[in-house]
Amino acid sequence: MKVPVVCPYCGVGCRLYIERTPSGYRLDYADDVPGIPNENGSLCPKGNAVLDLLSKDRLRKPLKAKEEGKFVEVSWDEAIREVTERLREIAKDDPNGLMFFGSAKTYNEPNYLVQKLARMLGTNNIDHCARLCHSSTVAGLKAVFGAGAMTNTYRDIERADVIMIWGHNYAETHPVGFRYVIKAKERGAKVIVVDPRYTRTAWFSDIFLQPYPGTDIALANGLMHVIIKHGLYDEEFVERRTVGFQELKKTVEKYTPERVEEITGVPAELIEEAAVTFAKAENAVVTWAMGLTQSVHGYDNVRAVATLIAITGHIGKPGNGASPMRGQNNVQGACDLGVLPNVFPGYQAVTDEEKRRFFEEFWGVELSGEVGLTTVEATHEALKGRLKAYYIVGENPVISEANSRNVVKALRKLEFLVVQDIFPTETVRLADIFLPATSMLENDGSLTNTERRVQWSFKALKPPGEARPDWWIVSEVGKALGFTGNGPKGFGYRSAEDVLREINACTPQYRGITPERLKSNLAGIHWPCPSEEHPGTSLLYTESFLTPDGRAHLASVEHRPPAETPDDEYPLILTTTRYVGHFHTLTMTGRSELLRKRWREPFLEVNPSDARRFGLEDNGWVLIETRRGRYVARVKVTKAVKPGVVAIPWHWGANVLTNDALDPVSKIPDTKACACRVKPVGEAEARRILEELRAEGVVA
Amino acid sequence: MSGILIDPGKCIACRACEVACEREHGRSFITVFEFESSAVPLNCRHCEKAPCIDACPTGALFRDKDGAVMVDVKKCIGCDMCLLACPFGIPEIAGKVMVKCDLCPERRAEGKLPLCVQTCPTGALSYVEPNEFSAGRRKAYAERLALRRAENAPGL
Repeated sequence: MKVPVVCPYCGVGCRLYIERTPSGYRLDYADDVPGIPNENGSLCPKGNAVLDLLSKDRLRKPLKAKEEGKFVEVSWDEAIREVTERLREIAKDDPNGLMFFGSAKTYNEPNYLVQKLARMLGTNNIDHCARLCHSSTVAGLKAVFGAGAMTNTYRDIERADVIMIWGHNYAETHPVGFRYVIKAKERGAKVIVVDPRYTRTAWFSDIFLQPYPGTDIALANGLMHVIIKHGLYDEEFVERRTVGFQELKKTVEKYTPERVEEITGVPAELIEEAAVTFAKAENAVVTWAMGLTQSVHGYDNVRAVATLIAITGHIGKPGNGASPMRGQNNVQGACDLGVLPNVFPGYQAVTDEEKRRFFEEFWGVELSGEVGLTTVEATHEALKGRLKAYYIVGENPVISEANSRNVVKALRKLEFLVVQDIFPTETVRLADIFLPATSMLENDGSLTNTERRVQWSFKALKPPGEARPDWWIVSEVGKALGFTGNGPKGFGYRSAEDVLREINACTPQYRGITPERLKSNLAGIHWPCPSEEHPGTSLLYTESFLTPDGRAHLASVEHRPPAETPDDEYPLILTTTRYVGHFHTLTMTGRSELLRKRWREPFLEVNPSDARRFGLEDNGWVLIETRRGRYVARVKVTKAVKPGVVAIPWHWGANVLTNDALDPVSKIPDTKACACRVKPVGEAEARRILEELRAEGVVA
Repeated sequence: MSGILIDPGKCIACRACEVACEREHGRSFITVFEFESSAVPLNCRHCEKAPCIDACPTGALFRDKDGAVMVDVKKCIGCDMCLLACPFGIPEIAGKVMVKCDLCPERRAEGKLPLCVQTCPTGALSYVEPNEFSAGRRKAYAERLALRRAENAPGL
C-alpha cells in the first residue's frame, strides 16, 4: 500500500508516497494527486533522499546523562518522572525559570501541546526557530497588513508579470516552488533578483540588483523614491486602502537613486529600471527570505518591502502579493499555533485580557499575561543564571543560532536540559535527559506550508525501538505534571486527531480544518477557514487588511547600517548561505550518503580581487575570523560575490562567526552581515582547528 | 520515438535527477554540470543514428521497442569502442561491461516517465517526441510575439 506523506524538509510541503515492499521501503512520486503544491509530484534532491532518514544512528531509547555526553538508557517511566520532577521543582519558585522550544519540524499537534504545557505551567517562555528566520516577517507584515503570513499562493507567482525575489536564493532553497517562477517566465514575466550574491536564482533574472549585505532599506526607499517621483504608484489604492503616504513621500524623497547607489553599490540606472518595471506591472509579487529578514533591522526591512508592495497596489488580487518563503515544513504551523512568547494559538495576544480569559477558561488554569522570552533572549538569560531549565523539541540551537559558542556556554550553565529529538545532535550532547521522538514519516498529523496550506501526513514507517510520537511524549509529561482534567483541561489525548479537534475549537483560522476534511483532501486547505463548510482562503486582503482600521499602514523607515561594518581590523563583510542538497543543521541531510557525497563541505566564496588581496587560492584552505569566533573552510574564487563580500553556507557550523546582535522588535539576530577577516592556512593547520571546534561541540 | 529533451535554460543545478537516478540504479546515469551562470544536465541521448551501436563489435547494443538504446551485458566485452564513438562521452565501463542510461524500462512499461524526468522540479527535463516538442515551442514563440503586438494595440 502506498502511504501519502508530506516531505519533511522545506516549506513547499511536497506530497510523496512511501510504499512498503518485500525488501524494505520505496519512495513514489505523487503524480496522481491534483492540486498539490508540487504539481505532477516532482521532488528536489532532499525529497528524493527522505528514506535515508531511516539511518542507523537514530536514538531508540530514553537516555539519562551521567555526565556531559555520557548517557545510560532508562525506561520511559523513569525519563518522564525525572523530567516532571525537575520541571516542577523549578516552576515552584518561578515558572519563568523554564524555557520551552517548539519545533518547525514537527506537526501542528505537538506544537500546540508544547505551548499549552508551557502556559499551563505559568510561563510564556515558549519560542521556536522561526525567531531565527522569519520573526521579522511575522512582526513586519503584521504591522503593515495586519497578519504575518504569505498573502497569496504559488499559483499567484505563476500568474504574475513581474516577480521580485529579494534576499532569497529561491532556486536553491525551494527548488520545487521555483517551478512557478520558471512557468511565469516562459509566459513572458520579468524577474527582478535582489541579492548580494549572483545566485542560481539570479541566473533567471532580467534585472539583477546586487546590494551590500544589510542595505535593504536604502534600496527599498530608492525604489519607492523613483516610483513616487514618476507618479507610478497606484493612486486609487493608496487613497482608499492605505494610511501614511504623505510621511512616506517625505521620507523617501532623500533617497535619490544616486544616493542609494552610494549606500548599496547598486547602479542608479538599475534602480530606476527595476522600480519602473515593478510599478508598471499589471500583476507583481515579491518573495523574500533570510537575506531580508536576518538583520538587526529585519523588522524595518520587511516593513519597507511591504510598503513598496502596498503603494503599487500589488496585493489582494490574483497574481499579486507578498510571499515570504518559509524554510522548514512547519514554520507556519508552529507560529499559527502560538509557539511564540507573545501570542496564544491563532495570534491572539497574551496581553489581551479578553483572549487570555478565553484560554484560562478553555484550559482551566490561570495564565500569565506577561510576554515571555525569545530564543536568543533565553540564551542571554541562561548565561546570567536567571533561566534554569530548557525543554527543547526537535531543535539544534548549537548549530542554528548566531554566535553559537555563546549558546553552548548558556546550555552548559542550565540546571536542567531536556532534548526531544530523533538523532544525536550537537545539542543532545549537552542534555540531561533525552527523549526519543519519531520522525515525521513515522507518525501522523497536520502541518502548514508556506502558502498557509494545511495538509495531513499519514504514518508510513515503523518507528525504531521505543521512539514515540511528539504528541504522545508531551501529553505524558503534561499528565505526569498533574494536568489530568477532561478535554482541553488536561492532556488525556489518544491520537493526533484528538489534538487537532481541540485546535479547531480555540484557533479561529483553523476552525474548519478538521482531521476528517484533511484526510479526505490530500491537497489540503488554506487558512483562514472559519467553518467546516468553508473552502479555505487562498488569497488574503481582497477587500480589506487585518489591521484595526482595515488599511495598510505604510512604514517610513530610514536606512541604518548593519550592527557591524567592516573596519581595518575586520575588513570584509561575511554573509551566510545554504546549499540545495542540505537542510539547515545537517541533522537530517547529513545522514544521507546520496546528498553528502554531492555536497561534501562548505566553501567560502571570495571575489577574485579579494582572493589576490589576501593571498587565497581556489580550493585552498582559509581561516575566517570574527569578533566571536573562528572557522576554516576551503575557498571558491568566484565573481558571484562582490569585492568586499564573502559568503559561506552555515550548515556545518559557520554560526560560530555570526553576530547575535538583535533586531529590537522581532528579536532576530543579524546573521546575514558581520565583519570578518580572512587568511590562508595550510591543510594540516585547518584540520587541527576543525578538530578543536568539533571538540568544543560547535561544528558538525 | 520519445526521448529526454534537456532545456538548460530551465535547469537550476539542484541535481534532483542525479539523486533520483542513483537511488534507483545505484549510480547516476545523468550528470549535472554547473557553470558560473548556467547548468547543463547530460545523459544518454539515445540518438536516432547512434554511433555507439554502429561501433559495437559484438552487437551488445540494441534498440528496444520504444527506441531506447540498451546494453545486453551478456554480449558486452568491455572493449571501449562505444565510449570512443559517443560524441557526448556517455558510456562508462563499470566492472567489465559498459553501463549507461536505459530510460527506466520498468517505468516505461507502466506508462510512467523516466525517473529523472518525473522528479525534475523545474521541467528542465521532458520525455517527449522531438517533433511534438518543437511544434510546442513554435506555438509558444508565436504566442509571445502576438502578445507583444496586443500590448501595444491601442484598440484593445
